[in-house]
Amino acid sequence: MKSKEFLLHNARQFGTLFGLFVLVILLWILTPHFLTISNLLNVAQQTSINAIIAVGMTFVIITAGIDLSVGSIMAFSGVVLASALDAGLPLPLALLIGLAIGMACGLFNGLLITYGHLPPFISTLGMMSVARGAALLYTRGRPISGFGENFRSLATGEIIGLPAPVIIMIFIYIIAHFVLTRTKLGRYTYAIGGNEEAAVLSGINVKFFKTMVYGLCGMLSGLAAIILTARLNSAQPIAGIMYELDAIAATVIGGTSLMGGEGRIVGTLIGALIMGVLRNGLNLLGISSFIQQIVIGSVIIIAVLIDMVLKRHKK
Amino acid sequence: MIVKQSKSAEKDPVLEMRNIRKTFPGVVALDDVNFTLLSGEVHILLGENGAGKSTLVKILSGAYQKSGGNIVLFGKDVEIKNPRQAQQLGISIIYQEFNLISQLSAAENIFLGREFLLSPTIIDQKRILDSAQSLLNDLGVNIDARQLVGELGVAQQQMVEVAKALSLNAKILIMDEPTSALTKNEIIELFAIIRKLKNRGVSVIYISHRLEELSEIGDRITVLRDGKYIGTHQISEMTQHDLIRMMVNRELKEQFPKQKQQIGDEILRIERLNRQGSLNNINFTLYRGEILGVAGLLGSGRTELARAIFGADKIDSGMIYVDGKLQIINKPRNAINLDIGYLSEDRKAEGLVLDLSVQSNICLASLGRFSKFGVVSNKQEKDAASEYVKDLRIKTPGLNQKVLFLSGGNQQKVVVSKWLCSNAKVLIFDEPTRGIDVGSKVEIYQLMNRLTAEGAAIMMISSELPEILGMSNRVMIMREGSIAGIYDTDNVTQEKILQNALGAA
Amino acid sequence: MNNFRYLFTAVLLILSVFLLLSGCQRGEKKDAEGPLIALVMKTLNNPFFIDMQRGAEDAAKKLGVTLLVQAAEREVDVEKQMQIIENLIQRGVDVLCITPSGSKEIIPAIVKANKADIPVLIVDTRVDSISLIEAGGKITTFIGSDNFDGGRIAGEYIVNSLDGKGEVAILEGIPGHETGDARMSGFHKALEGKKSIKIVTSQTANWERDQGFNVFQNIMQSYPSVQALFSCNDMMALGAVEAIAAAGKTGQIIVVGFDAIKDGRDAIKKGTMTGSVAQHPYEMGKIAVEEAVKVINGEKLPGYIPVKIELIIRENLN
Repeated sequence: MKSKEFLLHNARQFGTLFGLFVLVILLWILTPHFLTISNLLNVAQQTSINAIIAVGMTFVIITAGIDLSVGSIMAFSGVVLASALDAGLPLPLALLIGLAIGMACGLFNGLLITYGHLPPFISTLGMMSVARGAALLYTRGRPISGFGENFRSLATGEIIGLPAPVIIMIFIYIIAHFVLTRTKLGRYTYAIGGNEEAAVLSGINVKFFKTMVYGLCGMLSGLAAIILTARLNSAQPIAGIMYELDAIAATVIGGTSLMGGEGRIVGTLIGALIMGVLRNGLNLLGISSFIQQIVIGSVIIIAVLIDMVLKRHKK
Repeated sequence: MIVKQSKSAEKDPVLEMRNIRKTFPGVVALDDVNFTLLSGEVHILLGENGAGKSTLVKILSGAYQKSGGNIVLFGKDVEIKNPRQAQQLGISIIYQEFNLISQLSAAENIFLGREFLLSPTIIDQKRILDSAQSLLNDLGVNIDARQLVGELGVAQQQMVEVAKALSLNAKILIMDEPTSALTKNEIIELFAIIRKLKNRGVSVIYISHRLEELSEIGDRITVLRDGKYIGTHQISEMTQHDLIRMMVNRELKEQFPKQKQQIGDEILRIERLNRQGSLNNINFTLYRGEILGVAGLLGSGRTELARAIFGADKIDSGMIYVDGKLQIINKPRNAINLDIGYLSEDRKAEGLVLDLSVQSNICLASLGRFSKFGVVSNKQEKDAASEYVKDLRIKTPGLNQKVLFLSGGNQQKVVVSKWLCSNAKVLIFDEPTRGIDVGSKVEIYQLMNRLTAEGAAIMMISSELPEILGMSNRVMIMREGSIAGIYDTDNVTQEKILQNALGAA
Repeated sequence: MNNFRYLFTAVLLILSVFLLLSGCQRGEKKDAEGPLIALVMKTLNNPFFIDMQRGAEDAAKKLGVTLLVQAAEREVDVEKQMQIIENLIQRGVDVLCITPSGSKEIIPAIVKANKADIPVLIVDTRVDSISLIEAGGKITTFIGSDNFDGGRIAGEYIVNSLDGKGEVAILEGIPGHETGDARMSGFHKALEGKKSIKIVTSQTANWERDQGFNVFQNIMQSYPSVQALFSCNDMMALGAVEAIAAAGKTGQIIVVGFDAIKDGRDAIKKGTMTGSVAQHPYEMGKIAVEEAVKVINGEKLPGYIPVKIELIIRENLN
């Protein structure tokens, strides 16, 4: 009984997981290069940046919002972080600055949405342009490159054979899962997205928690910026263009409803992995990048289609 | 076909609705209703909230499909499938909320969807303007057809609606509460225009609660009650008292398990509460152990009062005392901290997060109690929720079930649990038994008894007069944003309540 | 249970799409026994790289080697390019030819290829040599033309055409790109000491045609007497040409682009554009594959293999 209930409650996530599983089997059959430890670690590492941004996106989308500015925020916090490192600031301080910049942009988004009463689409669309411009202005358009080994180890380091970005990603997912399921912030995130009016009438400070969710999303973009900068050994003001769409795609494939109120953090991880595995697999098979775009686009559409069909069936 | 002439029918009937039945899932909205409309008459449709007036006219205007019965229009059987067809048959309806686009001109509104064309894509603006202007002039109203509807006053917008109906060659015009937003002079003008329409042979179905104006404009009146046809009369033969009796005269068929509680100390006192446009100088006191029934028509300010006390809407002035102390309530959180709970009228839209579990919904307003440093203790939360599930006998397969999948009665119990869980001592229940089966209703009533026995106070807003009379200690009647009277339940009848609510002499 | 059936159907659907698409690609790579050369480009939505791809493919066919061509969706997305390289390393290609999207950012990927003992040939855009040495990476050779030289040639042409005096505008590429920077500094070098020639403005149009149109339209508003334009690629130059036509000034402003792509050559033939520095991407692609084969055969390569660069004007077109 208990396990059946568990299965039913997570039907959507199991479906996505099943999809990932079948994809893995298929690639295993199609190419001998796919199912090797080194390639799987490779996929996990490549997924990490999108997966981390998608965590923030999941929170935002559960509140029935959207954040289009994550890619630009990532670029902006990246270049500020890089300049802090360049200026010789201690590593922990520089990292903190990177996260703080991301969080500040996110909080600003949140304030515009809650107190400014702007639709999330508009305020984050504005922030997308503002943060990008700020990044370009701050660097005069030039990338900032060349960092110390300590910083770079955030992307190149390994612990018990796992690349650092993968460890960071796992860590973030564990925390995010905990926050979403076991804390007030998480519960209110669902409540706000599910029924904002009911949340207000239940005495929830909706404006505060919504602002926090956007702040969190911005901060995670800052974290992604750290990994990206360490990985490329360079912070580009033009980094992360269209990353918001990848993050939204991972979230949606993972079963989070754009209508808000529903979604699982684990689903998002699977969604991000599906996108990563697809890209990796299509590369390994030597399939043209044009077709890759068609495949990834189709997966997004089909995932959402399944969702709709499932929902209609339930009601 | 020879129609048997009744004494009132010197004129021909243009419309006959026979044995009309309309059911919604679980509810019979209209049961065997008959309605006859004569050519050139103004026919009043009267009844309480939920009596079935709106349902009846919506069937006529094609917004709803009838479940049974037949409609004879100009001697022919018709099926009205959608609003467009109703218009083609010569039936137009003017709702209380106008169906106009404020960014378009009066002329463009009148001919919206039926524009005159110069070519398949180009609109003949001049012809539209000229026709609209002549329609408005015909009505004798002073409106420039080029003016944007948004810039017109309410009465003028109504005239645009009337002109629109005329441009559709309406033979039957339905007006839903047409005077509710008009001033005295505007009402006089409106009546003049209605008489003009009558003379042209247009029949008007007129829905209103304002008893005093009915005899002035109406010819005949049909009264509905609880979805049933009560009777049709010449209005000149009826007194206001007769009408009220027809509207309410129903037996208390449901059993109300009211237990009289010892009324205790004052728990909530409202003084001189005002809110622009909805509440006007409200004063009353609520005592421990009592149920205060709040009656009034839709739009009389009942829900607005509840929301104002709860901090969901801002008030302009006034004082709220809780346990004798003056308090400032700016937002629901303040009210909840003062142990006030609000069970809203629409539980799906305002009371519940349907995608969340039973447990999460029960604890939603008091999550702070179950958490430390923002981390929720699953165990404490679960214990509390399961206690309420057991106590209130909420039927659910588990605490993790989404409330979406519960029945109406059980959903309502979840909302009540939410406020019990937040320790509410003042409970504002807005239509607590709406859309709930009879068994669950009784359970909710018993629960109210238990709560008052434990010293809580309940303010129960309801449109069901028997429920109010059966459950309350006192009845507060609201009308147009003010309190029209407060009575002990023992000294009041349904007629009296309705008289107060309608403002009848 | 119904839910699961739906899910299952849907998953099957995904798979069939996937299989279908991969199926239509499989045919050409059956002979995976021969040497496998990968060419990773910045993007495939630029005619320059499409020419390069054609050159590489023709060479591969002639030499009987298997060629994999991959590119990121967006030219500036170094991270995606890095992912592609990582994935190709996993695939175990014999040689990697790369046109870097970022001259510094690509270095970690090169280092990874080095570790996997896969020779790396850099094509078209140089990597930052100091950063490369610092990172301990190495490349087998650089195949490309000297962008600096190209810029200088364009500059000299404009100086001569203007008889040593006049107002000049520049359309830059995306700032921070090695390619654009080198072209710019070559151009500046040619104008050094020419006091009567004034660079009135130098703005970016992000390599793109539509932005080239807008930016140059604005420039003509602010500097109506501008007489010549140097654009760091043809796409932006072609945008500017449209803007000039829209202003009715066709033929009155000297426009020199870079890359001599097909559209650019057509414009030169029509006389709407004055000239373009030709880089011969087809040659680059062809040489890249030829050199890659030499590497596989154990030959030593020089560190720089130049590809000819020249200014195409109407007179020397074909």
